[in-house]
Amino acid sequence: MKKFVIIGNSAAGISAAEEIRRRDKDAAITMISSEDYTAYCRCLISYYLAKDIKEEKIVLRPQSFYKDNNIELILDKEVTRVDPKKNRIICADKKQVEYDALLIASGASPKFPDIKGVKRKGVFGFRTIKDIREIESLLTVAKAACVLGGGLVGLKAAYALKKRGLEVKVIIKSQHVLSQVLDAAAAGLVEQQLTGNAIELIKGHDAIEIIGEGDVRAVKLDSGKALESGLIIVAKGVAANMNLVRESGIALNQGILVNDMLATNIPNIYAAGDVTESLDITLNKPNVNALWPVAVEQGRIAGANIAQAGLKYDGSLGMNSIEFFGLPVVSLGVYKTDANDPSYEVLQKSDPGQKVYKKFVIKDNVLIGAILAGKIHNSGIFLRLMREKINILSVKERFFADDFGYPEIRDIVREEEKIYL
Amino acid sequence: MKQLYYDIKKCLGCKSCEIACALAHSLTQSILTAIKEEKLSLPRKKILYSKGKNYPVSCRHCKDPKCVDACMAHALVYNKEKGIVEHDESRCVGCWMCVMVCPYGAIRPNIKTKIPLRCDKCKDKDEPACVRACPTGAIIWQEEVVVDNKK
Repeated sequence: MKKFVIIGNSAAGISAAEEIRRRDKDAAITMISSEDYTAYCRCLISYYLAKDIKEEKIVLRPQSFYKDNNIELILDKEVTRVDPKKNRIICADKKQVEYDALLIASGASPKFPDIKGVKRKGVFGFRTIKDIREIESLLTVAKAACVLGGGLVGLKAAYALKKRGLEVKVIIKSQHVLSQVLDAAAAGLVEQQLTGNAIELIKGHDAIEIIGEGDVRAVKLDSGKALESGLIIVAKGVAANMNLVRESGIALNQGILVNDMLATNIPNIYAAGDVTESLDITLNKPNVNALWPVAVEQGRIAGANIAQAGLKYDGSLGMNSIEFFGLPVVSLGVYKTDANDPSYEVLQKSDPGQKVYKKFVIKDNVLIGAILAGKIHNSGIFLRLMREKINILSVKERFFADDFGYPEIRDIVREEEKIYL
Repeated sequence: MKQLYYDIKKCLGCKSCEIACALAHSLTQSILTAIKEEKLSLPRKKILYSKGKNYPVSCRHCKDPKCVDACMAHALVYNKEKGIVEHDESRCVGCWMCVMVCPYGAIRPNIKTKIPLRCDKCKDKDEPACVRACPTGAIIWQEEVVVDNKK
């Protein structure tokens, strides 16, 4: 009987465990998580804090899932070291677990800036249920909150805190929100939604100190201004949780490097999810795309390969669906172009009155990026054209049409299933 | 398990299927009252046009559903026995991840209800409403034709 160990118990870990069990009924599967909860929907914690949904709706898999699938679940345990020579992992409490194959799906953690006062009570990441519980405990006393970072996590945190009645300011180093995934035009539409709902955006500034005596009192900006705040959320991106493999000989960059089977440079060790750096289809180089759908797909393929299926992984690409106060926005692939490189072509149209904006980035007749704001109904079609690297010369003129759709790409994409006779 | 197929030579693009679909998913099930419902029932099927032909487009209930992978709320589950992607609307938060990844553009956002519009094969009825509504017999409800998807 084979013994498989999965470090991590979220999107990638769960889908890997399910896939291994589907293919191998007998293998022993052990999942180890540093968190103290059975799997939950991490992306829903902002909805939970906002009280948009009840706690039971964030359960990704209940306790019974582990029992039904004969999975040993070890919670609240930090894995500190992977020892590939002896095929074992070592935990903070010295517990050792041996494996025949290992999946590292240890995820990522919020990056905290190196500024004075960042360790004070009242400064939180926005990543785990534990974060939410601790934030919750301050909501009765805090009147105002500052969010550091204008990315998707920061804005979702801002929304939730606003919904709970706090005064919310978002401090954004860039000139606009969501600068990693949206251009200024699309970001402007999102900003209208936020400011229109009394979330204050402070752009072009950064926090340089967190002021307080024990508890947090205020945030000091690089402008010298201090903003009163009883609660601070740090949402300045995440970093892969790789400390456990630093000494192991596993190849690392921004994440754990994997091949097209999602195996690391050590053949019986795989990686999946936010900790993984794999081929980005649109950038055409390795990249960490720390996204839920990517983690689920990688987990499934890594799990299959641990069960000896030999599946290939095509790679990931950046994709984000953003919704604030009724405005949907989808961002796919890359939106930044090199103006000096003539092989890029940009198509864009905007209708600010209708809060609609669309942009397509094309390189050598292949779609490599899209932003769809206000109207997103065809975004999956564009994602597909990007994934399959289809020559879009014959259809690009139709991209802006409301009635554009699958029938028009039917002849140019890879398609096996036939439902049209 | 049964699947929807379309004889596009017969499709006139009359949109009877769209209306029947919206009606079948309305509260009152009658066209005179359904159009007055507070949350207007919208069709989960759309007729799109390409190169002289009409194509009814709706969820295919893929065996390898991208939407299920992408659903961060665990509101979507592929039910293997029934051959449908089941949508638990009580878990759905309207994040539109399913819309973002559907390779057929077959899931549309309903911004008002914050619930995506997707075909459920009229799961509580004998056959989907669009099948009966089609005046030319272009929509075919039959046992699945197995295509060999090399895994």
